[in-house]
Amino acid sequence: MHFDGLNSLWLFPVAALSVPAYAVNYFSVSDAQQALFPGADTFIESPLPFSDDDKDRIKDLAGVRQRQDQQPIWRVQAQGQFKGWFIVDDVVGKHEYITYALALSPEGKVLGMEIMSYRETHGDKVRQANWRKQFEGKDVNAKLKLDEDIMNISGATLSCRNLTDGVKRLLVVHQQFLASNQIAGGAFDPQTR
Amino acid sequence: MSVITRLSPLATAIALSSALTLPAQATESLFGFVKGAETLPEGAIELYQAIKRRSDKGQGDYTAYNLATELEYGVSNRFSTGVALKMQSLETSGLIIDGYLPKAVDNGLKFSGVEASMKYMFLSPAKDDIGLSGYMSFNYDWIDPHSGQDKDTYSLESELLLQKYFLEGELIWAANGGVEATYADRAEIDDLPEDFEWPTDPEMEIELKFGTGLSYRFAPKWFIGIETFYETEFETEVGQERWSVFAGPTLHYGTADWWATLTWFNQLSGGGEQYENQMDDDLHLIEKTKNEVKLVVAYNF
Repeated sequence: MHFDGLNSLWLFPVAALSVPAYAVNYFSVSDAQQALFPGADTFIESPLPFSDDDKDRIKDLAGVRQRQDQQPIWRVQAQGQFKGWFIVDDVVGKHEYITYALALSPEGKVLGMEIMSYRETHGDKVRQANWRKQFEGKDVNAKLKLDEDIMNISGATLSCRNLTDGVKRLLVVHQQFLASNQIAGGAFDPQTR
Repeated sequence: MSVITRLSPLATAIALSSALTLPAQATESLFGFVKGAETLPEGAIELYQAIKRRSDKGQGDYTAYNLATELEYGVSNRFSTGVALKMQSLETSGLIIDGYLPKAVDNGLKFSGVEASMKYMFLSPAKDDIGLSGYMSFNYDWIDPHSGQDKDTYSLESELLLQKYFLEGELIWAANGGVEATYADRAEIDDLPEDFEWPTDPEMEIELKFGTGLSYRFAPKWFIGIETFYETEFETEVGQERWSVFAGPTLHYGTADWWATLTWFNQLSGGGEQYENQMDDDLHLIEKTKNEVKLVVAYNF
């Protein structure tokens, strides 16, 4: 499965100056899907569009902006059973956007996280398993605060903060838009919100 | 001396810096003059080369290049230190300023001073509501930056640095406020113009400075911003000797391995002492120029 042109954040008027979004990729979408849901056999692409009101609601609840108009989401199944959601997201790094994937259980708990693209000077430790493991089991009620339930990495504080805030935002997205859509066997249907 | 000849030591210095491809990074500066509040993480090293061009005093010709090659080291995650070696070239003619600029000069690039600095971060801009750091530097210079003449200058500077991230880090505001105390002792000059005043008694000066800047990431790796600095200096004999306000745009490019910042500073207004027959009476042009352009290139270790 290819993953081009995902990020609307790149569509600035000065886009001509930008570089390829995934100059340093550690995971493709399909690699990340297999890493986070190793037993799954079906990933149903279910992009979730947001209205301005939706984005305002997410900001109110998560405390951070929902920048993208459409969130790339896949509904995950294994042998016909619903296993959760696979979400790809971007957050602001010091120089470039950081792309990561988040796996959520049907109940909205974090199953895992993979950093797909990271190219900052310091803070490569965000890719290490022990830092990513801190998010496992977190749900929308978790504090998700740097230096409290998520440890900081010196030299990459902005990246750590924005990744932590990003996970919090995606948990809010699940609570508000996905939790009521996990019965149907097909792709996410915005009409059923 | 041709510009190429004058700049050849400069090019050598840059080449030497560039040859050290070890890494670099550190307290990445989005501005040319305003400092950010972040420090290097523990064990990190940054090497940077700054080049500043000062030009135009309103009359005659005046062009100076100031270079600083600095190595900065993260002692802890909150405390970083740095040492710098400074160089200067100056070419001036057609302008004599009593007490300040005794004669035409055509100096090539010379070593002109050293600097040691330290920065302690009390609050992190990325983690706390606002970032706050204390900065101190000690400078010893043996060439007068204004006249190019021999002058021993010792200065101690302390600043408070503020920084705040907006829009998840795409918009950055920074502000500095500080004071610099200077002790200076000029060397005698043999061939001074008749009746020219060139005091060789040691002098003490106090300078206050306040600056602020705003920078926005308009594309991945690219930031554009604006910054301004107000400086005023007091001296025992004349009281407020000078004040000036500079402002201008700044462009920053940053990657994982290196970054560069280019700032064009223009003197918007100034006052205090003026030289005789100074045409621009709303600027301070004795110790300052109309324009300053600064380029900083840094490599991350």
